[in-house]
This record gives sequence, C-alpha cells and structure tokens, in this order.
Amino acid sequence: MKAKFFSIAIISLLFISCKKEKSIVVTTDEYHAAIDNVTQIMIHDIFSPPVASRIFVYPNIAAYEIMAQNSKMYISLQNQLNGLDSIPKLDSKSAVNQPLAALVAHMELSKQLVFSEEIVDKFRDSLYQKWTDENEEEFTVSKEYGLKVAERIKKWMAKDNYKETRTMSKFSVYANQPGRWQPTPPAYMDAVEPHWGEIRTLVLDSAAQFKPIPAFAFSLDKKSPFFKEVQEVYDISKEMVKKGDNSEEIKIAQFWDCNPYVSVSQGHMMFAKKKITPGAHWIGIVKIASKKSNADFAKTVFAYTKTSIGIFEGFISCWDQKFKSNVVRPETVINQNIDENWKPLLQTPPFPEYTSGHSVVSTCSAIVLTSVFGDNFSYTDDTELQFGLPKRNFGSFNAAAQEAAMSRLYGGIHYRAAIVNGIDHGKTIGNFIVEKLKMIKK
Amino acid sequence: MNNFFRIGLASLLFMGCSKKEGQLFEKLSSDDSNINFNNELVESKNISILDYLYYYNGGGVALGDINNDGLVDIYFTSNQGKNKLYLNKGKNKFEEISVKAGVEGQSDWNTGTVMADVNGDGYLDIYVCAVVGINGFEGQNELFINNKDNTFTESAAEYGLDLDNYSSSAAFFDFDLDGDLDMYLLNHAVHSESSFGNASVRNKRSYECGDKLFRNDNGKFVDVSDQAGIFGGANGYGLGLAVSDFNLDGYPDIYVGNDFHEDDYYYLNNGDGTFTESLKQYFGHTSRFSMGVDVADVNHDGFPDILSLDMLPEDEKVLKSSLGDDNVQMLKMRTEKLGYHYQYSRNMLQLNQAGGGFTETALLSGVAATDWSWSTLFGDYDQDGEQDIFVSNGIPKRPNDLDYVKYYSNDQIKSKINTTKLLDKEALKRMPKGNVTNYVFQGATDLQFKNRSKDWIENDSIISNGSGYADLDNDGDLDVITNNTNAIASVYINKTDAKANYLKLKLRFIGKNTFGIGAKVISYSKGKKQFKELQTTRGFQSSSEPIIHFGYGKTKQIDSLVVIWPDKTYQTLKNVKTAQTLTIKANKDRNAFDYKKLHPTVLPIFKKLETGLGIDFVHQENDYIDFLVQKLIPYQRSDRGPATAIGDLNGDGKEDIFFGGSKGKKAMIYFQNATGFVKNKVAEIEKDSVFEDASVVIGDFNNDKLNDLYVASGGGENAADLQDRLYLNKSIQFLEVALPKIAQNGSVVKAFDYDNDGDLDLFVGNNSINNRFGSLPDGYLLNNNKGVFTVVQSKTFEKIGMVTAAVFTDFNKDGKMDLIVIGEWMKPTFFANKNGKFTDVTATVFPEKSNGLWQSIIPFDIDQDGDQDYLVGNWGMNSKFKASQDFPMKMYYDDFDANGSFETIVAIEKNAKYYTTLGLDELAEQFSGMLKKKFNSYKSFAGKTLEEVFDPKMLEKAKLFEVHNLKSGYLRNDKGKFTFVPFSNKMQVAPITSFLKANFDSDAKEEVFAAGNYFGVSPYHSRFDGFSGALIKNEKTIFLGNQVGIDLTQKAVRNLDIITLNGKKYMLVTINNKKAELYEMPSAKNGNRKQPTN
Repeated sequence: MKAKFFSIAIISLLFISCKKEKSIVVTTDEYHAAIDNVTQIMIHDIFSPPVASRIFVYPNIAAYEIMAQNSKMYISLQNQLNGLDSIPKLDSKSAVNQPLAALVAHMELSKQLVFSEEIVDKFRDSLYQKWTDENEEEFTVSKEYGLKVAERIKKWMAKDNYKETRTMSKFSVYANQPGRWQPTPPAYMDAVEPHWGEIRTLVLDSAAQFKPIPAFAFSLDKKSPFFKEVQEVYDISKEMVKKGDNSEEIKIAQFWDCNPYVSVSQGHMMFAKKKITPGAHWIGIVKIASKKSNADFAKTVFAYTKTSIGIFEGFISCWDQKFKSNVVRPETVINQNIDENWKPLLQTPPFPEYTSGHSVVSTCSAIVLTSVFGDNFSYTDDTELQFGLPKRNFGSFNAAAQEAAMSRLYGGIHYRAAIVNGIDHGKTIGNFIVEKLKMIKK
Repeated sequence: MNNFFRIGLASLLFMGCSKKEGQLFEKLSSDDSNINFNNELVESKNISILDYLYYYNGGGVALGDINNDGLVDIYFTSNQGKNKLYLNKGKNKFEEISVKAGVEGQSDWNTGTVMADVNGDGYLDIYVCAVVGINGFEGQNELFINNKDNTFTESAAEYGLDLDNYSSSAAFFDFDLDGDLDMYLLNHAVHSESSFGNASVRNKRSYECGDKLFRNDNGKFVDVSDQAGIFGGANGYGLGLAVSDFNLDGYPDIYVGNDFHEDDYYYLNNGDGTFTESLKQYFGHTSRFSMGVDVADVNHDGFPDILSLDMLPEDEKVLKSSLGDDNVQMLKMRTEKLGYHYQYSRNMLQLNQAGGGFTETALLSGVAATDWSWSTLFGDYDQDGEQDIFVSNGIPKRPNDLDYVKYYSNDQIKSKINTTKLLDKEALKRMPKGNVTNYVFQGATDLQFKNRSKDWIENDSIISNGSGYADLDNDGDLDVITNNTNAIASVYINKTDAKANYLKLKLRFIGKNTFGIGAKVISYSKGKKQFKELQTTRGFQSSSEPIIHFGYGKTKQIDSLVVIWPDKTYQTLKNVKTAQTLTIKANKDRNAFDYKKLHPTVLPIFKKLETGLGIDFVHQENDYIDFLVQKLIPYQRSDRGPATAIGDLNGDGKEDIFFGGSKGKKAMIYFQNATGFVKNKVAEIEKDSVFEDASVVIGDFNNDKLNDLYVASGGGENAADLQDRLYLNKSIQFLEVALPKIAQNGSVVKAFDYDNDGDLDLFVGNNSINNRFGSLPDGYLLNNNKGVFTVVQSKTFEKIGMVTAAVFTDFNKDGKMDLIVIGEWMKPTFFANKNGKFTDVTATVFPEKSNGLWQSIIPFDIDQDGDQDYLVGNWGMNSKFKASQDFPMKMYYDDFDANGSFETIVAIEKNAKYYTTLGLDELAEQFSGMLKKKFNSYKSFAGKTLEEVFDPKMLEKAKLFEVHNLKSGYLRNDKGKFTFVPFSNKMQVAPITSFLKANFDSDAKEEVFAAGNYFGVSPYHSRFDGFSGALIKNEKTIFLGNQVGIDLTQKAVRNLDIITLNGKKYMLVTINNKKAELYEMPSAKNGNRKQPTN
C-alpha cells in the first residue's frame, strides 16, 4: 500500500518535471469556449441586448490588448478607444504566455460583468488546473499579468457611465400621448435601458455622432407615410399566415428573433423562453468565420474584439435614437386602430421602435466582419441550433445582415423605415469604425 | 405485536402533542367518520396546468339536511372523479350513499356545488357546476332533484339549467322577490389573454365564459342576463360569488370576484328585475386575482361587509420569491386608458359604509395576506359575538414562483410547449409546492382580527379548496368542512361547545322559498347589534348549511331578534334564551318592514352644493411619476397640491379664493361677487405656471391695506422651478417682487407677526431636497421689514426634517405665539417664542419617541379640559408600513452604490427582524451588480433580513430615519406637557391630510372636520382611498363623513377651508386631481339638532 502510494508520487513528480520544459499551448477553441460560456451565462442571467454588448466588448478588448503587446501584426487600441490609455507593458523577453494571459484577462472581466460568477469560476478553474499541471511557472507569471491587465481595463470600464445610468430615471409612458412608445403585451415590461445612449462610446465621439434620418411623424391618417407602414406590417403578417408555417418569411423571422426574454403566460402559469441577443448571434458568427478560416489565436481575438466594438457602438447609437424618437410599436398601433386581436409573429421587445436594433447592429457587425474576413465569405450559421432552429447558409456577412434586418418586418415588430434607415445607420457606424480603428500593421 | 404496540403508543403520544391546548377546531379522523372523499387530480397527456388554467382550483362542498332528519349531510364534488354524498348518521358518523342516491354526476370536470330547494318542496336539491367544452370535457351542469327518499333525479334540462359552459359556481336566491328561487351562474373565462384589451370586452356576451342570471318562471329557469344588465364577456374570470342585500333596500344584490385583470362586479338590484353594475362608484379598489368571497357584518353597524381573497403570501420566503405587484405605469395604463378599476393582489376587507361606499381595511385589520387562498367563511366560531374568519388555501404547484418563471422553466420547457403541449414530470417537479396551512382569524373589536391559525387549527400542509360551514354534530357551534386536493376532505369539528352561548336559527318561509333564503335576522343584546342574512352560496364553489348562527359569549338571554323575511315583512322575538336551536316559521300576519329603519340617521350637517356657486376649479395633477426618477422612495412627493387660500384679493371686502396649479398648470383666482364666484385671469401669476404651488398665504405684507400673496413652490420635479414667490397687490394689480433664495421643495407657509412689530412675518417649511429624498432641507423664518423679507434665525430651523405642516400657536400659554412644525420621519417639533426668538423645546414638552409620517395639525381642545390640545394627522394603519417604538420603520439614505446619486432603503419589522419593503427586482434596478451577484436566485434572496441583504457596515454609514408611530390622534395637553393619544381605527384607514375647525353643527362649541386619503404610493400599498372624512366633536364623539352627510372616499383631499358668502358659511374642499367641492353648512339659527347614531 505504502509502496504503491510512493511510486505514484514519484511518477507524478516525474510527470510534472517533464511537463515543465514545455510551454502551455492555449488553443483558439479554448477562447471560443470561454466566449460561449459567457453567452450561456447571459442567457441564464437575462441581460438585455445593449447590456449584453457591453459584456462582450470589455473582456475581448483586454484580451486583444495583451495579444497586441510586442505584436508584429496587431496594433494596440490605446488612445484609439475613448479613455483607454496603455495597459501594463510586456517586456519582449518576458516569460508571459500571451494567449494564456489574454484568456485569463477575458475570464476575469467576464466574471466581473455577469451575475452568475460561479459559472465563470467553474470554467476558469478547470483551465487553471490544466495549466498548473502543464507548466505552473509559466501559468503563474502569465496569470498575474493577465489579472494586472484586467485590473487596468476594469478601471477604464468603471468610467463608462454604466453605474451612473443604473440610477437614472425610468422611461415615462404617458399613455395618452399618441405615437409615444407604450409597454407591450404580454409582460408589459418597462422600457429597457432608456439611458444607454449616455454610455461612453469607444470609437464614436458620442452616441449622436451619426443620426439616422428621422422617423415618419405619427399619424392615423390612412394616407400618411407612417400609417401606410403600419398597414404594411399588418398586411405582410396576414399574407404570411396565408403562406403557412413553412414560408421563408416565418423561417427568417424566427431565425433572427434573438429576444433574450420572451415571456409566455397561460393563466397563472408563466415562464420565459430565453434566447441569445442579436449581439450574441453575431459573436457566434465570429466563431464560425474564425474556425472556417482557420484563424490563429491572435486573429481570433482580433475578430472578436473588432466585431464586439462594432456591436457595442451600434447599440449605443441606436438606443440613443430609440429614446429620442420614442416611436410606438406596430403591435400597439395595430391593436388600437386596425385589429385588436392581432399579435406579431415575434414577441415585441420592450423598448421603442425606431430604429431597429437588429438592423443597425447586424449591418455594423457585417461590415466589421467583412473587413476582417473579406467579402463574399460564405458560411453556414448554426448559432440558433440550441433553440431548435435550423441552420441557414449565407453567401456573405452583408447578406446575412440584410436578412436579419428584414426579419423584423416579418416578425411584426418593426416598420420598414426602421429597417431601411437602421441599415443605413449601421453602415455609417460600421464604415466609420473600420476606417478609424488602426488594428493591423501594414 | 410488540412492534405494533410501540407504534401505537408513539402515535398516541404524537396525537396528544398535536392537539394543542385551546385548539378550537379538531379534525375528525376519516376512520371514525367514514368520510374518505379525496379530490384526486391525475395529470395526463390531455390535461394539466398547462392546458387548463384552473386545473388546480379544486372541488366544492354543499351542506344541508337532504332527508330532513335534523342532521346535516355533506356533498363533495370531484374535478375528475365521481361526486360523493355522505349521509349524516349522527355522532359524526357518515354513510356514503352517492351511487344509491344517483348523485355521482356525469360530467368530466366538476366544480362548484349548491344545495337549495330549487322546486320549493321543502327538500334540498343539489346543483353541480361543470366545465364543458374545453380540453375535451363533456357533460353539463346537473340538477339533482330530491325524491325525498335519499335518492335524486337529475333534472337540469327540465328546469332549463343544463348549461354546458365553463361554470365555477352558482347561487340560488330570489332576486325579484316573487317568492321562488332564481339563479346566478358564475362562469369563468379560460383564455389566457396575453394582452389586456379594453374593459368594454365585458359588454360582448360569450356563452361559454359569461356569467348568467336565470329567472325562475314557474319552475323554468329563463336566461335574463342581457335584460337584467349582467356582464357576460369573454374576460369574466369569475371565481367568487356572494349574494347579499348590500344597500339594505330589501332586494338582494350580487358581488362577483373576478380573477386576473377583469374588475370584480358589484350588481345593485334595481328592484325591477334589473341590476346596475356599480363597482367603481362604491369601491376604491378591489382584489386583483379575486378568488372566494364572503359577506358578513363585522363591525356591528348592521350592514354586510365583504372579504375577497387573493394570493398575497404572508411568509417572507414565499413573498419575495413570488411575482410581485404591478408595475406602477402598467396600473396607470390599465386604469386610465383601458377602463379597469384599481386592483391589487391581496385580500380586501370592504367595510360597508351604510350602503354608501365601501372602505377597505384588510391591512389595518390584519387579514390581507393568506397566501394562495380559495375560500373564506365568516362565522362566529368561538361564539364571542364577533365574526371570525376561516380561509382555505394552498396550491399543488406555485406557477408564479420567480425562479421557476425566470430560470428553471426555460431549461425544462423550451420547445416542449409547442410540440407536446405537455410539461413533463420533471418540469412540474421543479415548480415549488404551495401547500399552506389554512388560516383562522379571531374577530376582535375596533376592526381588528387576530391570526389564530397557529393555535385554533391543526397546522397541516393539505391543500383545501371549496369549504362550507354547518353544525354537523348539532352542538350549536359551526363546524367547517373542506374539499381537499389530493387528500381526504377535512372535517373540522368545533370544540367551543358549551364554553360560549349561541343561537342557531332555522327559518321556514312560505311558498317556494321554503328555507327563507334572503331573510335577515338582527339580534340585539346588551347594546350590541348583530346582523345576519341567510344566503348559502359563500366561500368558494360551495354552499353552507341554511342556518343563521349567532354567538353570545356568556350571555344567557338576549333582548330581541328581528326576522325580516324576503318579502319585506318581519316578526320580532323578545327575550330569547341563548344556547338553543330555534325553528322560526313565518307568522301568518306579518307587518311590512320599513328598510329605512336599518339606515342610520344622518345628521345633515353637510350638503353638497352641486352648483359650486361658480367655483368650477378642477385641479389637474401633471403627468409625473416620482418612482420613475427616485425608484426606491417610499411614496411620492410631487402630488401634494394644490394650495388653497381664502382672502380678499381685490379690496372689495369679500373673500376670494386662490387655487394653486400643479407644475405646468395655471393657478386660478376666483373673485367673489354678489351671488357667487367668478374666475379671473391674473397674468402676473399665470406667467409662473411652471412652478407647482405647494402652499399659499394671503396677507397684507406691506401694510397697504391690500392683501398680497406668498406662494411656496414645491413638487420636487425640477430643481430649477422651486423658488418661492411673493406677489404684492398694487392697486388690485399683482406684481411679483424679489424674495431671498428659497428654492427648496416647499410644503407649507404660515404667516404671523411673531416679533410683534406690526407686520406679518412668515415661516416656510420644506419637505425634501429635490430628487434627494432623505436629504434634509432647511426651514425658514422670514422677517418682514416693510414688505421686504429677510431670513432670520437660520440655525434654529436648519434641516429640521421633511416638513409637511406648521402652526403658529401659543402652546405654553405665555401670550406669545409659538410654532409647532410637523413632518415625515420626524416628530412634532415645538418651538417656543421668547421675545421673538424661537427655541426648540420639544425635549421637555413632548419627550416621547414619536416620529411619524405626520401630515396635518390643528389646535383643538378635544378633551374639553380647557387647554389647547393638538389634533395630528398621520399616515394611518391601513398600509404595509409598520412602525412602533420598539420596532420603528427604518429608512437608510446614502449613495450606496457610489455613483453620485443617493438612494433610500426602507425596512419594516416582521417577527422581530427587519426586511426590505421592496423585492429583489426592484432593489436590483438600482443596485444591480451589488445584489444580482450576491443573490443569483429569488430563493436565495427571499426571507433574508435587511442585514443579510445589505452589508451592515454599509448601512451603519448611511443616514438613518425612523418612524415610531403611524396612527393619527392628538397631542394631549397636561399643564404644558404633551402626550400622544391615538384615534380609534376607523380614523386610521388613510392618511389624514387636513383639518378644519368651525362650529359645524350650530351647538355652542366648535368641532373639527378631518379629511384625507392619498394615492401617491406604489401598488405595493394599494391606494388609501377609504376615509370619508370625520367630524370630531370631542375625544369620545367622532362621526364618519357618511354619518354627517359627506362622503370623501376615493378623493385625495388636500385642503379644507371656510368661505363666507353673504353671511352664509360654506366648506370648500380642495382635492388633488379632481374638482373642488363646496358644502353648505347649517346656519346658526337652526339650533341644536338630533344626534346621529354613532
């Protein structure tokens, strides 16, 4: 018995000492897994789309900044993103394993940003154990560096006005003001994040740097441009019903629903159908594209970072507009003026209509992704498989964005103008980011 | 054998322990009684809570003596199984005779049941409701006609009662007083409406869901719903039904409790075969998820009161992990836009104000929270002369558990809901159980009920639904029988026995209404009136024994019994011995009864002047919700207007009126002319409509013989619009002149020449710093120097508290006017005036701990001992706030999350521990990171004390406010020292916001009229709308508004003023967000008047 124990100990010692020679290899799959883990936590914790975009962006930036240290390929974002100065510098001779440090920083910041920290911990601890086993010394020094960077990013992050916006006022409904957004069935939730436009932007000088053209003025006059669009939403939905459950429009709408909290109530029985947010869907597409193009670790981090910046900026700008225009949702207008029993195919999300967040953010993401992976990058999108939805094939990111935008019309939750102008708005923001951010050395 | 013996011994011991000393209800063992009925629910592919929203509603009970052998028999309905009839064989032994009797029923889903003598042959028949036409349920409502030989014949079709819709309950009663029993059928909607829709949906009749009224035309029941004015919409989620002559006009009225967003219905019988639904007019608010309803006179005023059940949990652990109150904006939309009434999720005790409005007092009375409740039965179970309450409750699964809704359900359900339409067992398993012990409350005096659930009844965890009462063992006390879900029915035998006296009355009436349904009996004993009405449908899906039961304590003989028969005749029994069962037959010669006798004499002090003498001021509160900006504050600040002042403003010697405006609305001045009042535009004042006028004083501040105006700005919506304003009257032209910077959230301004220099000085009190509720503003003493004001003695009034009112008064009898300042989270503060200098002397003249949410104050010698007492209006006891000297209500104030804006955390005590008033979601809206990380489920948060939720160190650092007392009352003056004396509970139903002293009733003395109500609270509290006003003559004599000709319920009164026109005095009532009202007062010539019955 004793002998056996002794021999095991010896073997383990030998094993460890052998391993020590080898440097730890952190794979892109491990980075993808870390992001997937955060996405799943967000589904559980229920974060609204704008808040979710913030949970993606800071951990990726921290990871990217570490990868950009002493990189021949990538340029640090310091002084390129509002308020971001340098992170602790890395000596070129340092023993820090940069991918490892990047992943450590990513997990540390993610933990700070989500509620269910224990799920991050569980994921992290298994990696830490593995890395300790592989090369404790390298792991320790890299982890310390990763945490140091995370601390620095946290300080920068703390100044983005997120904390302040928590205490700001809720949206006032004023139900008697026609045309003003009202809570929608079935949960009649308060408007989500009415002050998101006040969150510090990263690349734009402010949320309002670019504005979409104004929404049509509210009118119940059947000939008015506004009401014609209301009628269009209604007509399209009626036509879809005629075409049946297998119509392309229904498939598109469901595929791009991306509503993190669809509440279902049957009498006293209530529950939620939870999904990923639009941002998370595009983060999922980053993974698909990175894997398909066999991107290395640094490029993977780069792709995630740049896309999540695009998503983040898109939400701030879009939300700024939403709570300036406060446009009422089709469901409200149709129920009150056309058909009191009409229900949109998708559940109306709890914030004003104009412009369409999915249109802005998808377009913006597609432009950024095109700048990373090139145009006409065809791929199969299986992001929604976990929600029982089929895969869809796309010839390019822009084509996907176009479809995502149109899904809102089919879903009955947006008028056409919010989509068309949202796409334009997303384009402007996306192009600006691509132009302004210098991330690759020439 | 040995083992068996041991087990036997153990069970004996166990039983001995479970039977607590003083237990009032003893459960009958089914082995002894042979009652083994069990309403077993079997979930199947076709039917579960997902398919049918009322899957867990359970069955009913009907109680009555079907064979007239003097023993009450029991009928149970089974949702999915066969209904059962148990014949009472005496001595609590029963024989199940369902098959023989032919009453097992044919329907797939049975619900409510009633025993009634439908054909008027003196034998009770049985009616059984069914849900038919959904989920494949087949069958119909069944009417089992008694063959008088312990068998029945199903005859629903013959009588026209073979309905095949979604019924939950029925009531048989004679609504048109033609001598036979008619029927109200309560149906329930089954749609799970995702959107509310307009309230007018109720006008569109739906056969399946809509309630129905049937008139009995010679044994045929004819549906007269439409012509009778009965709503029958697809949104009628009818679960509660009670019939009673609520307005005591001789015709039975109907109260219907509707689940979900549909309003309850209050049908007043017009006496001509029609009803007028009048809920909004008579009720300030109702239960939201109304379930069972019962009716009894709980306060001995001879009018039937109502208890409606809901599902508010009492246990913090359940409370904070269940879906909470409505969102404040949603409630506003549902009421103001969609046309629904105010509904809140808790039990409501509606006190009938002599057929006028109802005043709701469940929170004050201690009966608001009994968890997922089904049936309520009023009864004098301990026979002490006060009505007690039994509540059955519990649900197999709590579908409103927040963790389930938000976290678990997703994983479990996902696509299943769309595909298989069936929750698998696993999913249901994750839904927490909702088994709760049945509640019993003991009625006490002064509108109080004492929770006796712990000691009066066995604390099992059985789910009980329908229930009824009956005297099963003929010992005179009321036993209770419940139909249980997945458990054997409970028979609670009442052990009061001979400990207290009773009277049990069986009525025998003429014609087809053999049991005298609808008869009323009034008992008079030792000055106490007890009122009962014979209606058997009560509780939930059930009917009780057709008897009238009174309790009398030790009293052996009572003065008299008046029996008022359904045909408006009566007979009287004098000197009746108690402790007996009486069968009272209608006399042959019966005199007509004058129902007016039951209505109290109203002392006609106030008479509303509908013309208003030209005063058509309608105060419009601006659209602003404080809770959207300061999410955690305990109540609003912005809706305390308008200001009112009376005085001559145009120098003609006649009294004019100034009404302040809310923010953005213009103030109004009404000038008095020879016959009335005329509205006038004053541009100089109208230009300042951006200010909310919180308080105003009319006075000649520059001694030019013309009255000027000082207006305190308040409302706290925008820091820029809080400067007070002074308008000097220059030859009838107002001109605004400069004031020192007084730009706080003003609440009161009072004028007096405190320094005795011949001009009017001012005290200005402020309530809170704008958008910093909890940060204290200063009060200001303004010294007048020829019309120019300067702030003096600033230190004395620095941060004195959240002031609401003040009064200049000589409280120390030294001939100088002193000052008392009151407010919220502070105590009445006494400032003595010594040669023009004020000193805070509270510590010596009023030392007791008495922080309150004080609203109003007036000097009045209420105890008539010759010195000045002070009446003080407080928050009242009818809210979820709770405060005492030992366990004050606490409010912590700090920038807890260090983001530059300040928050408040309010906590109240429960069982010696403190809990936040708000739930996790509400708190997390402000402290998201802090709390959501700490509590990643509702279960982990629920039941946690304040110190477990928030770091005690953080709380210690914060500023702490306390409230020790919420009752209104008076500060009694004993030689210059004051002590607080509370008013009785009828004065604690709402905040008292205003007092007015005058000689109202033309006797030699002055009285005080008090008014109140307030709606600026979140749905957590509901609305404080039940105070009709009160005339206070002295400490013993206080009349509520309805006794003196005024009803201010549902009105948030802000000011009361006397105004004189042509020598005649009127009372002007200014109301927030409503039209001002004018009341005539009796002139001095009329002399003394009759006193109303108190």
